[in-house]
Amino acid sequence: MAKTVDLLQGTLDLLILKAVSLGPLHGYGILLRIQQISKERLEIQQGSLYPALYRLEHQGWIISEWGESENKRKAKYYRLTVAGRRQLHTEAAKWESMTDIIGGILRTRPEQV
Amino acid sequence: MGARFRSWMRTVWRRSRMEREMDAELRFHIESYTHDLMEQGISPQEALRRARLEFGSVEVQKEECRQSLGLRLLDELRADVKYGLRAMRRGPGFTIVAVLTLALGIGANTAIFSVTNAILLRALPVRNSAQLVTLKWSSHQWPQYNSYQNYQDTGGDWDENNPCGYSFSAPFLKRVEQANSFSNVAAWAGAPSLGMGGNGPAINVSGELVSSDFFRTFEVRPAVGRLLQASDNDPSSLAAVVLNYAFWQRAFGGSPSAVGKVIKLNGVPFTIVGVAEPKFTSLTLGGADDLWLPLGMGTRLNPALFTKRIADANSWWLMITGRLKEDITPRQASTELSLVFRNELLAGADPKMGANGAPQILLPSAQAALVGSAGYYKDQLVILLTAAALVLLIGCANIGGLMLARSTARQNEIAVRLALGAHRSRILRQLLTESLVLAILGGVLGLLMAMWAVRGLVAVMAPGAGVVATFDARVLGFTAGASLFSSLLFGIWPALGNARLDLTPALKHRGLSSWLPQRGRRFGFGRLLVVAQAALAVVLLSGAALMLRTLSNLRRVDTGFDAHNLLTFGLDPALAGFDRIGIENLYTHLHQEITGLPGVLSVGHSAMGLLMGGWMSQSLEYLPPGSSKKVKLDMRYLPASGDFFATMNIPLLAGRTFSSADVAIEAAKEQAAASPSASQDPPSNVPVPVVVNQAFVRKYFSGVEPIGQRFGGANGSDEYSPRRSAGYEIVGLVRDVKYTNLRDEFGPTMYVPQPGSEAIFEVRTTTDPSALVPAIRKLVATYSADLPITNIRTQSEEIEAGLQQERLMANLSSLFAAMALGLACLGLYGLLSYEVLQRTRELGIRLALGAPRANLIRNVMWRGLALVFVGIAVGIAGALSEGRLLAKMLYGIKSSDPTTLGLVTLLFIVVALGASFFPARRASHVDPIVALRQE
Repeated sequence: MAKTVDLLQGTLDLLILKAVSLGPLHGYGILLRIQQISKERLEIQQGSLYPALYRLEHQGWIISEWGESENKRKAKYYRLTVAGRRQLHTEAAKWESMTDIIGGILRTRPEQV
Repeated sequence: MGARFRSWMRTVWRRSRMEREMDAELRFHIESYTHDLMEQGISPQEALRRARLEFGSVEVQKEECRQSLGLRLLDELRADVKYGLRAMRRGPGFTIVAVLTLALGIGANTAIFSVTNAILLRALPVRNSAQLVTLKWSSHQWPQYNSYQNYQDTGGDWDENNPCGYSFSAPFLKRVEQANSFSNVAAWAGAPSLGMGGNGPAINVSGELVSSDFFRTFEVRPAVGRLLQASDNDPSSLAAVVLNYAFWQRAFGGSPSAVGKVIKLNGVPFTIVGVAEPKFTSLTLGGADDLWLPLGMGTRLNPALFTKRIADANSWWLMITGRLKEDITPRQASTELSLVFRNELLAGADPKMGANGAPQILLPSAQAALVGSAGYYKDQLVILLTAAALVLLIGCANIGGLMLARSTARQNEIAVRLALGAHRSRILRQLLTESLVLAILGGVLGLLMAMWAVRGLVAVMAPGAGVVATFDARVLGFTAGASLFSSLLFGIWPALGNARLDLTPALKHRGLSSWLPQRGRRFGFGRLLVVAQAALAVVLLSGAALMLRTLSNLRRVDTGFDAHNLLTFGLDPALAGFDRIGIENLYTHLHQEITGLPGVLSVGHSAMGLLMGGWMSQSLEYLPPGSSKKVKLDMRYLPASGDFFATMNIPLLAGRTFSSADVAIEAAKEQAAASPSASQDPPSNVPVPVVVNQAFVRKYFSGVEPIGQRFGGANGSDEYSPRRSAGYEIVGLVRDVKYTNLRDEFGPTMYVPQPGSEAIFEVRTTTDPSALVPAIRKLVATYSADLPITNIRTQSEEIEAGLQQERLMANLSSLFAAMALGLACLGLYGLLSYEVLQRTRELGIRLALGAPRANLIRNVMWRGLALVFVGIAVGIAGALSEGRLLAKMLYGIKSSDPTTLGLVTLLFIVVALGASFFPARRASHVDPIVALRQE
């Protein structure tokens, strides 16, 4: 198993938005999907997932409805809203430019300064 | 933002469902995870254990989820309120005292504020009042007019160098109506007194003469029929009248058939054309007029007066209010009208002032001019509001003291919470919430008390002034503000003290701290609160004492006449169509017949009653013998009958009073003046016989024999009364009496015979004068069915009515002072009881060591009295400065009166002694064994 890394502060929201942008998911499903996409390299604190979900829903970026899970149980499914999709794009763009900048800095060699 | 608000509202309203769903969601997560773990081959029990372990505390997560939804603050608030209510139930005694104290304080403030709101902040009962401005003149010189009439209490300022006022002449009104600045102009004036017939028995009504645009300017709508219009002012048209809604209800039972009915006003027929809408009661306070008449109809009611007035630029008698056109600012309008006014006053054949008088027209808003004029009530209201605020302050200090004492009992609880990690700000918030809960309870109860009390308050403060105190948003806001302010005031200090609690000693439970007499900061504050309460209570007590002594001084004042067993009533026979001779005959008959009634000693009449608030004054000139310079005689005068003096028991000191011959001569002169065409009667060269008072002689005829002196001859000083051309001759001297009201100084006064005018009759009786009322009513009715009797009451009632304001101030300030005294003593009692409790162990040791019980009593009482002395000293300083506010209301006493302040001090000390005795006695009864075992 690859080594897991702790989640950077503030990125959980972005990951949740991305995860539900691929299709409606319940809370546990979101957890699984993030771990799956990250090839088990990201460890998400289970305790921080639900407060984040409630916060995102409170801000109107995702909405929830009750549906049936794979094993025929009632589960609460989250889905991206239009505002949420916009937010995902801005956050993703921000993240990319950030990694670009940080990456650029980290790749700097002495002769380039 | 919108999404967040919607989400918040949703969760707040459907809280239990939200909680259920949250539960289900988290359970689903754990179950799914357990399921997955089991699929990896882990035993169900172990899987569940691991799932729960990795998920962490469900409750913590739920709390964080709630926080995500913005519910945390609300939850905490709810918990605090619940906790506060529980704490209140635990200490019902404290809760009841605190809530009642607050309710009384807030209730008193709310009640008085609601009256203030209704009087000083009253909204004009008209539409779109923002564009209404009222004309006000001002100048640097006195304008030369011949007559001037104020509308109710909209007085101007009679300053010699900067006079101003609100009344204008009818010709000037014409110019204002033509001005470009206004879309509509309303003018009005009080009508002469009116007797109304044609609708049952004759009654006296009050009316207002209004210009044809009056109702349109104020955008008043009719309730029934129509309002006045331009054609109503046409002298040839049928006279129209509009009724006030309340009068319509009262006199016509609100019947729509009243419209179209013809009534008689002073014998002149008027047709009722409509009723104004209910909310349009009157423009100023105290002036709810029964009906409105077209300005042009004044000439029918009183041809002599109004024919002259309507064309006379020298009679200033009309109030004018205009509605500004949309695009005109008050400044532009003021410029335009000032120019017109200047032309009117300075140009023309008859300039009213010099060019440097700089007359101008100011345009205050109608709201400010008409509502801000309630000056009569302002002083009272300011004083009462101050007194009520002081009571509330004392109440807050009291509750603050109680809370301090209680907070000690809660130190353990709070220390435990702090030790468990609660934030100090969180504790502070919780304690303040508890105060707020108390204040809200007190506020609600206070509001109910105010609602219950306000009707009575209005009835005693402003009887008949049409004040309607409603609990509108402003009053409710005031109550909420007062409650919030109080809760902060009494809650913040104990709360801060507790939140700052030092953990170690508090947790040690009764440590060393309870051993020693405490001299710490918190304790000092409790003592400071008692000093403040004492000081404020002394301020209120001295104010009340001054008011009470003012009232008793006024009641004991020497009026100069005998007010007991005296009945008075008013008659104005001219309203029922009597002419001068008819009136004089009527009076003669009434005198004879009333004197014949059983129990009547004598009867007199005068143009005005004594001590009824009114007066007449006059200036005449006098040329002393051997002098070339005339002396100006300023005096009050009162037309009276010859038997007036004997009836009032005013002693005649020299000379005689008026004889029937005097009256006959004066009547003949009046007759001659009224019809100049008739042959001139010889009596016109007989001087008017007058009776003067002692003050008159002291001031103007000191050192000479007054009887037979003549003054005020044919020098034109009395241009409106040609019959006076022969001047006056003093025929009698009477004792000084109070004329206008009890506060009057004895001033130069002259009594004259004046036949044939309206009169107040005075009837001296041997027994209760009110028993005569039915007989007199019957008697008057035999002469005319259209003759209303006004204000029939005893002179004593009249005097008491004149003391209404003083009585009110004395009663209310006594009530407030009693509340203050009670609260301050309760505060002192509470503090000392608490101190004794704190010192139980120390007191026990002292007793065990042989201290006499009397020493302990003295010790405790001294601690209390020391505070009271400091409080009294501060309070007296406060009372002396408060005196300025009261000075205008006082009579026969100075605000710094040492006797009053001494008595107040004494009273306070006696009551404080009582309040501190009980805790002191308890201190001396401490059982040393119990006290020492207590720890």
